[in-house]
Amino acid sequence: MKYVGFSAVYMHIGLRGIAAILLVGALLGLCVHYGATYDENWPHPTGDQLATEYDTSVDERVLLIGEVISTNPSDETATIEITDDADETAAEIQVHGVTQSVAVGGVVQAYGTLHADRTLTPTNIVVVNHSSWDGGYKLVTSVVGLLLAITYFVIHWRPDFRRFVFDQRTPDRRNLD
Amino acid sequence: MAELLSHVLIVYVVLTCAGWRLEWLTQRWVAVGMIGAILPDLSRIGLFVTDATIETALGVPFSFGALQTLGGLLLLAAIGSLVVADHRRRAFGLLFVGGFLHLLTDGLKSWADGTAGAWLYPLSWYRHPTPGLYVSSDLWVLVGVGTVALVVTLIDLGILRPMSETDK
Repeated sequence: MKYVGFSAVYMHIGLRGIAAILLVGALLGLCVHYGATYDENWPHPTGDQLATEYDTSVDERVLLIGEVISTNPSDETATIEITDDADETAAEIQVHGVTQSVAVGGVVQAYGTLHADRTLTPTNIVVVNHSSWDGGYKLVTSVVGLLLAITYFVIHWRPDFRRFVFDQRTPDRRNLD
Repeated sequence: MAELLSHVLIVYVVLTCAGWRLEWLTQRWVAVGMIGAILPDLSRIGLFVTDATIETALGVPFSFGALQTLGGLLLLAAIGSLVVADHRRRAFGLLFVGGFLHLLTDGLKSWADGTAGAWLYPLSWYRHPTPGLYVSSDLWVLVGVGTVALVVTLIDLGILRPMSETDK
């Protein structure tokens, strides 16, 4: 391995540190810009907009995404909860024409006409989670995916705390052939 | 989005197969691409700290949703490439490819209004039509991708050998 002196190491760490600070700053700036411009660019009402200016969306075709808080299979309706940026309840909307199988705790997307009486007549419904079990399934498999990627990475890379980097741990199998 | 395991396996399959053609694309670089597959889902930080909490703390609008876009991915890949000892451009490229495959896969899922999320931000807020191939809780996605990943692994390890012209 090529020898790198201490001063060179710290210079590289310093440059990378400056680059990292700039990039993290840019990322925060992007999150701020995204947050500031999302509502005006998203073609459908957000939770915050439903909570504060519901009437402006009445008789409009909107896309709502929410968790099912009650169902009534006899009249094919389900009530969904729309949340705001703070994950607080912004609106509860009764969706008509829910013929798909969905239980309380499930998540649906409903696209259709919003009415003043806080109901929605959909032209299309997509059931994202049929029940809370689907949410649990996605959480567990996502954690497994996270662990798989990290484990595979750690098998091939080792942390070098002196240089604040990850370095090659072992020669690649293909190179051993 | 599909669950994260499918995203990671899709990147593993694509990059491992590409590695059969590209000499430099070895397992350790496939591993970097798999980390890239995680990057767009860093927006899930929002499950633990809401946008509203950050907005209150900073006093400005804020959304972790930016991390699940092209712009967020570019910056995250650049940050990630800084902590790799060598070949930082390659690391950046593979982190980006891993994340891009994630965003691309998300662009195929079902939306009730028939158009995908605005993942092209900040280039555009355009929402392209989606074929609506799946929803994130579909088990068949993971079963299908997992099966392909298993076959690719067996081929890559030399346990399974694709039939060549000389075998026929």
